[in-house]
Amino acid sequence: MDKSGLLHGVWVFGDYRNYFQNRVTLQLIAKGRELAETLRTRVTVLLLGEAVHQYAMEYIAHGADIVMVAEHPDLRCYQVESYTNVVARWAEAFKPDILLGGATSFGREFFPRLAKRLKTGLSADCVRLEVDPDTGLLLQTTPAFGGNLLAEVVSSHRRPQMATIHPYVFKELPHKASAVGRVVYPEIEVKANTQVRVLRSRRQQARGGNLEDAQIVIVGGRGLGSREQFKLLFELAELLAGEVGATRPVVRAGWADEERLLGQTGKTVKPKLLISIGTSGALQYTTGINGAETIIAVNRDAHAPIFKMADLGLVGESSAVLPLLLETLRKRI
Amino acid sequence: MNIVVCIKQVPDQPTIRIDSERMTLIREGVESTINPLDRVALEAGLHLRGRAGGQVTVLSMGPPQSEESLREALAAGADRAILVTDPAFAGSDTLATSHVLARAISRLRPFPDLLLCGMKTIDSDTGHVGPQIAEELGLPQVCGVNEISLEGDSLVVERLSDGFLDTVEVTLPALISVNRDLCPVRSLALGSLETAFSQGNIARWGREELGLSEEEVGPKGSATRVQRLLTPASTRKGELVNGSPRLLVDRLIGTLEALGLLDEEDG
Amino acid sequence: MEFRESPISAHHNYLVNGMLAQGFVVGDPSSKDHFFFLADVVLQGETRPRISARLMDEDSHPLLELKVNRIGENPGKCSIESAFAGYRIRCSSGDVLIEVRTEAFANGYLTRIKARLFDEHGHLRVETRDESIWIHGEEYLFLAGPLPEGRAVRRK
Repeated sequence: MDKSGLLHGVWVFGDYRNYFQNRVTLQLIAKGRELAETLRTRVTVLLLGEAVHQYAMEYIAHGADIVMVAEHPDLRCYQVESYTNVVARWAEAFKPDILLGGATSFGREFFPRLAKRLKTGLSADCVRLEVDPDTGLLLQTTPAFGGNLLAEVVSSHRRPQMATIHPYVFKELPHKASAVGRVVYPEIEVKANTQVRVLRSRRQQARGGNLEDAQIVIVGGRGLGSREQFKLLFELAELLAGEVGATRPVVRAGWADEERLLGQTGKTVKPKLLISIGTSGALQYTTGINGAETIIAVNRDAHAPIFKMADLGLVGESSAVLPLLLETLRKRI
Repeated sequence: MNIVVCIKQVPDQPTIRIDSERMTLIREGVESTINPLDRVALEAGLHLRGRAGGQVTVLSMGPPQSEESLREALAAGADRAILVTDPAFAGSDTLATSHVLARAISRLRPFPDLLLCGMKTIDSDTGHVGPQIAEELGLPQVCGVNEISLEGDSLVVERLSDGFLDTVEVTLPALISVNRDLCPVRSLALGSLETAFSQGNIARWGREELGLSEEEVGPKGSATRVQRLLTPASTRKGELVNGSPRLLVDRLIGTLEALGLLDEEDG
Repeated sequence: MEFRESPISAHHNYLVNGMLAQGFVVGDPSSKDHFFFLADVVLQGETRPRISARLMDEDSHPLLELKVNRIGENPGKCSIESAFAGYRIRCSSGDVLIEVRTEAFANGYLTRIKARLFDEHGHLRVETRDESIWIHGEEYLFLAGPLPEGRAVRRK
C-alpha cells in the first residue's frame, strides 16, 4: 500500500463505548464504503482508547479497510480535549477528505471542537450523505428551521468535510469473519488533560428507557384522556418490545417523565415503527418523530395534523381502540 | 464570580410558518423568544451569582431585534447585556458565529470565570457554537450538564452522556452547556419587564468594534454553505381509515404483520 | 507523521511488536537446522493459534521443533501442558519456554504469546513485554495470508 496515500480518503470516528447499544460506527462504516467507492478511496476508522483490539477487529469485519489506532492509558476515558489533540494531528498529517462521526452525546461535543481546531466545516445530525457527481463534494443534508425543511450543505474549500450522523439513518453491513485489512499505529504524544477530570462515571439506565435506540416507539398524547390510559402504553410497548414516548402536554400533566419527551425540546427518534395515539400532531412534537420509517396514528379528529405525517391514520377514540388492541395482542403473543 | 451567559433569540415554535415556494421562514408575525435552554443557562448563572457573588453578563449575537431577549434577561436579573450585531454577521455558519462570539468574550473586562450556554437551540439544533467558542478561547468544556456545584476554585458538574452519568471536575475558566434538567426557570413578574425596558444598559458591538475583518465573518468567514433547501420527502402514504374500533384494530394489526413484527396467524 | 502498520483479519490476530497482526514469521521455516518461529494465519472455522518453531537455548543447543502446536523432534526433552485458554511448553529444567493464551471476543480471537527465544548464534530473537511479543533482528515478516508448506521466506 502506498505509505499514506490510502489514508487520504473517508475517515470514520470509532465510537465504541456503548458497542452493543449504539452501533452507529458500524452504520457509518457502511455508508463510508459507499462514499469511498464513488471517490475511489478507502475507509479508515479511528480508534482511541486502551485495550481496544476487539474493536479494531470488529470494524474490519464490518467493512473498514484500515483502522488507525492510538492506545494509551490516558485515552481510556472519552475526553474531548485529548481526543481533539490526537485526531487533529492525524488529520493534519494525513489529510482525509471526509470525516464522519455518530451524533452521540460525545460525538456532538467532540466533533465541533475538532472542526474548529481544523478550521473546517461541520454539519450536524445529517439524514442523507451523497457525493455530488459533478463536483465530487460531499452533499450533507441536515434538518433546518427546526426540522420543517431540509438543508443541503457543502464545505466547498475546507477539508476534511465533517459531518455527524444520527444513529439508524444508515444500515450496517453484516459481520464478515473472513474480512482482512490493515491496522496503523501513528507515532503520537498523548498528554493527560488536567483541566477536566472525570471523578466518577456510572452506567445509567435512563428512566426513559432506551428511546433513541428503540426500533419500536409508542407515543401517547393528551388525547388519551387520563394517566390510567397512558399507563396502558407500557403494556403495549412490552408486547411489541418497544419503548414509550410522550408529548409535552402529557409530561406537563405529570403522566410521564421528562425523559420520555419527544420533539423540539425532547428527544428525536428514528424507529422502524412509531405508533402515535391521542396526539394532535403539533410541530414541536412531530419534528422529533418525522424520521420514523412507518408511522401509525390514532386520533378521534380526522383533521388532526398528525394524519398528514402518518402512513396509516386511524380515526377513532383512543379509549376504545387502545384496550381492544391490547386485548387482541395479548391473545396472540 | 464573573459569569457570561450566551443567549440566542429564536422564533417561537408554534408560530413558525414556511414559505414552501421560496423555501424560507416567513418572518412576519413570528414571535421571538429566548432559546429555552439558554433561559435555563441564565437561571443557572443567576443561582451561581447568588451563591458566589459577582456579576452575570448576557451576550447575544443576532439582528437588532435580539435586543428584546436581552431585555428579558436583564429583567430576570442579569447585570449587564451586550448585543453583538452587524449586517456583516448575517449568513455566518457556526465556525464564523463562534469566532465573533469568542472575540466579543475576549474583549470583556474582566475575562469571565465561567461561560454558560444552552446545549442547543430549537432552530439550528447543532449544539456546535458552545464547544467552538471554548476551542477558540482555549477553555475546557463540559456539555449537557444537569447539575452544577461550586467547590473552591473549580466546578463539579454532573451530566448524562451516552448512557453514562459522569461526575466531572473542571477548572475555571471553562465553558459549560446546560440541558433541560438543570434549573426550573423563574417566570417573569410583569413589573420587572417594564423596569428592564426603562434601563438603557445594553451595549452594541459591531464588526469594527470587535476588530474583525470582512473575511472573518458572514459567508466569507464560513466553512459551510447551504446549497439548497428541500421539503422533507413526502413519502408518507397518508392512508386514512374510519370505522369501528374492531376495524381500526384489525387494520393496525395487519400493518404490524406486514412489517414482520408479529407472526402471521395460522388459519 | 511516522506510523507502523500490519495486516489483520477480522477473525484471529496475534499481539506482536505492540500491534495486532494476523500472522508473522521470524527466521526461515524452510531451513534445515536454523531457528524459526511461525505464528501462522488462523482461518475461519479454527479458533486455535497455529504455532510452529525450531527452538534452541542460549548456547545454540537445539531444544525442540513444534509443528502447529504439536511437539516434533525433542532433543531438549521439553514437555507440553494445557493452560488456561491455551498451552505451555516447559524445558526439562521446568522453566517455561513458551506460553500461548487465546482471548475470545464476541466475534473474534486474540492470541498473546509469552516467550524468550534464541537463534543458532545465541542472539535473543523474541521476548515478551507488556502482553505483546517483540521481535529482534531484521529477518521477520508479517503475513498477508497463511504460509504455504515448505515455501522459502523472503528476507524482510
